Amino acid sequence: MRCYVERVITESDVQRDIKELITDAGMRRRMSRILKVAVSTAIECIGGRENIEQLHAIITATGLGCLADSERFLRNMVVDKEQLLNPTPFIQSTFNTIGGQIALLGHNHCYNVTYVNRGHSFEDAMLDAMISIADGDASRVLVGAFDEETPTQHHILERMGAWRKMRSGEGAVFALLDACQSDRSIAQVTLIEFPQQSLTEEECFKRYATRGDAQLLYNTIYQSGIYPTASARSFAEAVRRVECGIEEVIIYNEFLGATPTILRVECVG
Amino acid sequence: MRIAVTGVGIVTALGIGVECNIASMRSGVSGISPAATILRTSNLLPVGELKLTNDTLHDICGIPRREHLSRTALLGILAVREALTDARVDPTQRVGLVSSTSVGGMDLTEHFYAEYNDNNSAGRLRDVRMHDCAASTDAIARYCGITGYRTTISTACSSAANAIIAGARLLKHNIVDSVVVGGSDALSAFTLNGFKSLMILDEGACRAFDASRGGLNLGEGAGYIVLQRSEDVESCYCHLAGYANRNDAHHQTASSPTGNGAYLAMSEALSRAGITPARVHYVNAHGTGTPNNDASESAALVRLFGGNVPPFSSTKGFTGHTLAAAGGIEAVLSVLSIKHGYIYPNLNFKRPIAEYGLVPEQRFREDITVDCVLTNSFGFGGNCSSLLFIR
Repeated sequence: MRCYVERVITESDVQRDIKELITDAGMRRRMSRILKVAVSTAIECIGGRENIEQLHAIITATGLGCLADSERFLRNMVVDKEQLLNPTPFIQSTFNTIGGQIALLGHNHCYNVTYVNRGHSFEDAMLDAMISIADGDASRVLVGAFDEETPTQHHILERMGAWRKMRSGEGAVFALLDACQSDRSIAQVTLIEFPQQSLTEEECFKRYATRGDAQLLYNTIYQSGIYPTASARSFAEAVRRVECGIEEVIIYNEFLGATPTILRVECVG
Repeated sequence: MRIAVTGVGIVTALGIGVECNIASMRSGVSGISPAATILRTSNLLPVGELKLTNDTLHDICGIPRREHLSRTALLGILAVREALTDARVDPTQRVGLVSSTSVGGMDLTEHFYAEYNDNNSAGRLRDVRMHDCAASTDAIARYCGITGYRTTISTACSSAANAIIAGARLLKHNIVDSVVVGGSDALSAFTLNGFKSLMILDEGACRAFDASRGGLNLGEGAGYIVLQRSEDVESCYCHLAGYANRNDAHHQTASSPTGNGAYLAMSEALSRAGITPARVHYVNAHGTGTPNNDASESAALVRLFGGNVPPFSSTKGFTGHTLAAAGGIEAVLSVLSIKHGYIYPNLNFKRPIAEYGLVPEQRFREDITVDCVLTNSFGFGGNCSSLLFIR
């Protein structure tokens, strides 16, 4: 299985004004922060709302989904004693809200799915994308990963002792993948694997490197703040390195004791 | 390559296991009770609740109560164990799990939050340990001995159908040798109040496809099937011949009046299997009982089948709408329909929706030939998925 990468965008790369991306002011006002961030990143990635209709699959990944909205509804429920609740945060707490919003903004009827599998969510979404392409079900696929950090979540994890050795983080990353190589291709994904046990850096090179200058991103999810889909950031970094001339980058991540994941990104051609 | 269904497992408000679920449906007894007695809520609304506490469920599973698993995980463990035993899966194979849920461990989180909101050093941490969706999948895998590829899908009420689709594709690509697929969702005050705030809950029993329908009843449960490559097994219930996941792209929560997404999902599932609409013997409809869903689904059924809509029914009058478990529970019922020639009654139906005139099955039928069943699952976010099972 193989696919070509046309663009990878993280939330900090978004150039367009949110008002241009989501023109309905009422809708903008109702949207939570993660919804705005993730939808903007997605639209930036495909180069504008008008391109949503060209997608054949929209595959999203999130560990904890739209947490702020989930908490908002939970708080209202507790404080208002289950009476006269505003449905908006409930609607937006659904894990597939972002995938659904992208489809809705472009009136796109294509395959649309959301993986919520903790530290493997992004890799599971990538595997789905590669299967969709391999089966000929899709040639243009949008894969996105996002998680938001909230004060409550941070505080609960602090009580659990999570931040003694780690920093917390959040983010959104979207990638536009294609079945075919073109002059727009910037990299290719040539391998995705879920090894049954931990591997050392040496073992990663030995098992997965195919080129002399191969580089390894080894557990980089712990460097810039941990969150369930932080490995999508490692993927964005790997693609950036390939764009800068590195021929091959292997990504190894092991999220908080879960079985590891491997992705291999190579230059095109 | 053909995908064989080799095992089924089910838990609903009707009880634990295939036998008691079918027995209740045969005698026309609904699992909907007038109000929740296990779930902590002040709402007096009908629900499809399994009348067993979490402690009792731990005992039935043979899991120490101190493990404090979420209800979603406990329901899932019971259904997955039944499915694996039924399929007699070889444990030395690569056995995978694709599980879906929409609430995850919310049934425990909401107990935590009620205390935490008053005082942020209060609330027992063990009540939030299983909050995320993957925690239930992990627990199911751990207590059912599943060590192959595992993932979790959440696309609201179409979740389990998408888990079943994902499993079929994993088999095709040789990532697993057998895979348990489906979903589990527990009742929670979060979802009950969520649907109440949307004003789509019926204060009485839900009446799917009836002209007077006034909303859905929430339910809880789990439904899983085991999929294997046909060439690897000697016998099976039936085959998963077609599937499709399409988006209605109409509204975040409401379905289009033309049933676009539903129509696209059903017709693609049929074309993927190379089956014409005339060969479908039974449709297990999504049929939630909300005015919007049932009108939209009726429109799609009429578009696809014209004047020859096959026997169809919604089984949610028995189980309530079990959200991310619904597609799994209804897949189990669809598989049993082919195996035993069952067609399930649509409870509480009196008068058809004038615009479509569709009349669902109202009696439990058995020992008739059912070769081909289409089952629908639609959800928030416009997600529409259909599965096609054939003998």
